[in-house]
Amino acid sequence: MSKDRLPEVLEKWEAVIGLEIHTELTTLNTKMFCGCPVAFGGEPNTRVCPVCLGLPGALPVPNARAIESTILAGLALECDISSWSQFHRKNYFYPDMPKDYQISQYDRPFCVGGHVDVEMDGAESVRIGITRIHLEEDTGKMVHVGGSEGRIAGATHSLVDFNRAGTALMELVSEPDIRTPEQARRFASQLRLVFLTLGVSDCNMEEGSMRVDANVSVRPHGQAEFGAKAEVKNMNSFKALHDALSYEIVRQADELEAGGTVAQETRHWDAGKKRTSSLRSKEFAHDYRYFPEPDMVPFTFDDDFIEGLRASLPELPDARRARYARAYALPGNDASVLSSDLGLGAYFEEAVEAAGGPEMGKAVANWVLGDFSAHLNAEALLPADSSVTPRKLARLVQLVGDGTISGKQAKAVFAEMVATGEKPRQIIERLGMQQVSDSGAIEAVVDRVLAANPEEVEGYRAGKTGLIGFFVGAVMREMGGQGNPAMVNEVLKARLGG
Amino acid sequence: MTADLSLLTAREIRDGIEARDFTATEMVEASLSRVSTVEGDVHAFNQITPGLAFAAAARIDAMADAGEPLPPLAGVPTAFKDNMNLRGTNTTCSSRILQDYESVYDCTAVRRMLAAGVLPVGKCNMDEFAFGSSTENSAFGPTHNPWDLDRVPGGSSGGSAAAVSAGMAVLSLGSDTGGSIRQPGALTGTVAMKPTYGRVSRFGIVAFASSLDQIGPFSKTVDECGLALNAICGKDMLDATSVDLPDEDFTSGMREGVQGLRIGVVRDLLELEGCDPRVRDAVRATVEGLEHMGALVGEVDLPSCQYGMPAYYIIGPAEASSNLARFDGIRYGHRVPDAEDVMDLYLRSRAEGFGPESIRRIMLGTYALSAGYYDAYYGQAQKVRTLIIRDFERAFADYDVLVTPTTPTTAFKLGEKAADPVSMYLSDVFTIPVNLAGIPAVSVPCASIDGLPVGIQLMGAHFNESTLLRVGYAIESMSDFDPVPPLVKTGV
Repeated sequence: MSKDRLPEVLEKWEAVIGLEIHTELTTLNTKMFCGCPVAFGGEPNTRVCPVCLGLPGALPVPNARAIESTILAGLALECDISSWSQFHRKNYFYPDMPKDYQISQYDRPFCVGGHVDVEMDGAESVRIGITRIHLEEDTGKMVHVGGSEGRIAGATHSLVDFNRAGTALMELVSEPDIRTPEQARRFASQLRLVFLTLGVSDCNMEEGSMRVDANVSVRPHGQAEFGAKAEVKNMNSFKALHDALSYEIVRQADELEAGGTVAQETRHWDAGKKRTSSLRSKEFAHDYRYFPEPDMVPFTFDDDFIEGLRASLPELPDARRARYARAYALPGNDASVLSSDLGLGAYFEEAVEAAGGPEMGKAVANWVLGDFSAHLNAEALLPADSSVTPRKLARLVQLVGDGTISGKQAKAVFAEMVATGEKPRQIIERLGMQQVSDSGAIEAVVDRVLAANPEEVEGYRAGKTGLIGFFVGAVMREMGGQGNPAMVNEVLKARLGG
Repeated sequence: MTADLSLLTAREIRDGIEARDFTATEMVEASLSRVSTVEGDVHAFNQITPGLAFAAAARIDAMADAGEPLPPLAGVPTAFKDNMNLRGTNTTCSSRILQDYESVYDCTAVRRMLAAGVLPVGKCNMDEFAFGSSTENSAFGPTHNPWDLDRVPGGSSGGSAAAVSAGMAVLSLGSDTGGSIRQPGALTGTVAMKPTYGRVSRFGIVAFASSLDQIGPFSKTVDECGLALNAICGKDMLDATSVDLPDEDFTSGMREGVQGLRIGVVRDLLELEGCDPRVRDAVRATVEGLEHMGALVGEVDLPSCQYGMPAYYIIGPAEASSNLARFDGIRYGHRVPDAEDVMDLYLRSRAEGFGPESIRRIMLGTYALSAGYYDAYYGQAQKVRTLIIRDFERAFADYDVLVTPTTPTTAFKLGEKAADPVSMYLSDVFTIPVNLAGIPAVSVPCASIDGLPVGIQLMGAHFNESTLLRVGYAIESMSDFDPVPPLVKTGV
């Protein structure tokens, strides 16, 4: 399989990858230039009006919140915000584009420059430059009927749904700084996390609210010029992005090694067949005839406006990861996982708070990343939807911490909490699981066990210290599993050592 | 006996209905009666809308019956250019491509006129998509000038001008991109205003050139022009280029006279070759009259305006080529029934749907915006536009109002310029710089030559419409021009 050959290919060839990421601003109430609501799917052509249908005479009115969201994204990614900016018309004919031009941006995007430092597990992070972030309107959706898999080839007719038409679409263009599919995957995934943190989009790749296209080329290591690039589309998951890039890099390298050339073209990723193929639709050399959108006046942004937005930025993923590592003394990986899932991070912080503060962080993190995450995965739940609330989990962690129950008992209690939704204290009482921490009671049992096993006592004292496990097991059995393990250990060692 | 709309003003109609001298319904009847006698010759309308007019009239009459105060334009028969959306009508832009297009919403300016009480009597003929200066570029046949049926009424709002001139409507709305209100106003002897860009919402008017288009009124008198402006001006949340200014009564300062007003005759434009000397003389005589009334008259040059025409014929078509892209046969409008594929559908639907002038302008604009030509054409034209704006700024530092003829000649004959686009384009030479600068201007009838009206163009600084009306009113009061053409005087 081509994917397996990637490391070998990358030894000979350097891949050059740039991403174009379109993100629908799904958290806005209304579309980019009209008052129609923003939502996914729905009965076709029900969320439309004269403006987003491009009816004669209708005019676009810009959505101020969409512009603010885009500038927020730019600020979060260290971009420069243009002091003045404007929309342009991008002219081309296509049935999903009701006006036959798209209101987009050309030489005055809202945000320019910027970068993301992509974390690479242990290895040094890689800085990926951001060329620009601009705002435009989304198109409608075409449904081709009569062909295979809804594609246009062989279709007898096509339907258009304009529900999506006019939705605000934020386009981020990266520099061609990406060198491997894994960097691309992580870059896109870090951007997604930033957009989710900012609350500007649900970034749902399957529903298309976040769409990643890639420009890919290969060149021999050390060569300064870029090779001919292909634009790869239709990757609707991070895995698809990774797989498609891996396939495409190997394909281009093979082509060149066989003495061929790479065609400058658009290629379609087929996740089923695991390959890219040339989009053989009639390609026209597009001249988009960009010109300033005359239905709107240019926008100017003063420092107060931009600084006001900067001040409203929430804590960003990098800062959150650093804070988790610092404040809760979490190992790097725990901090990364908790900070890269907004819901889990919020759950964690709430549970730590309820458990008594930062010193409980490590213990809570173990539960959140262990049994709690397993429970979420098993039942396909979001953290906020679990019956195990942060407060209940915190209580469980406290009961282990103060020795009321053992860690082993706690796992059983957690399973009961998931099953019944009860509070840990109720379960412990119901099942009589209280841990025995009464030293007198433990000493009595220990003495009985030692008296009943004189040979093992001899052996231990002769140096077979591994027998400690045997004694602990026997004591715990005798106590119905409720003895405080630490105290049992301590008493056993004291008695045996004497 | 039916009332004669040629002899009634908007104010008289409203007051007459309020006083129960006559009814709004009778105003519709008066309009329809005039339509029945002259429309066959004039062809001002693409569609007559008696149903809408009678329904509006019934509402006004009910208010009058109940003794309620009537809105300012109550009962005034009004016509709308056929590029303005109005529910219950087709909005065709006089094009085959929109022949059967039914409006599903109302143009803001139309809605505001209706709210002011007007009776919508019909949709007016125009040059297709407002491309033209004679209304001959209509897919539904030309409009004839009520002053001489062998002559054009001007254009592109020729139907709106002719409807008022012939007394089929008392007011009408047109749109002006390079002179399309003022030029037909001059050729039909009507008062015709292009307001400041941004004064009137463009929402609902089918766009020609978005940075130049502006809606404005036709009327027989300056006072009615002000009343119509009162109705249509104002910020509209649906048009991002509309301007938010305090409400203003444009008629209130109208009668203050011109004493002390500084009036600049634009010498270099007036001396342009191709301007009929008799038109020039009529304008000079009018300015002398203003001087007698106390205006301070001087002369000024606007040197960049000579480049206005070529700049306009880049910017206008460039924007139009994009604005008209949506007429593609996909969702509405003309579509060939037997397309092979989507490209064939686009190409043939558009080739069949658009008339020759539309195709010419779309091609001009497409070319001007193309890669490699943008800077030489569109970019250069925008620079000219900036220079013209500066010319006007300089002139308005010294003058309150600038004056030119509205058109180089009186109404020309049908067919006379149809074969020569450039000579047709030249009939807008005085009006085009105004649109490029975004300033307001009004054409007021000031004389007649061989029985044909002559218009004087008054231009003002941004948002200074009221001063234009003040000068216009002075001209109207001293002029002996009678706005009623012989055609309707003799009753045919």
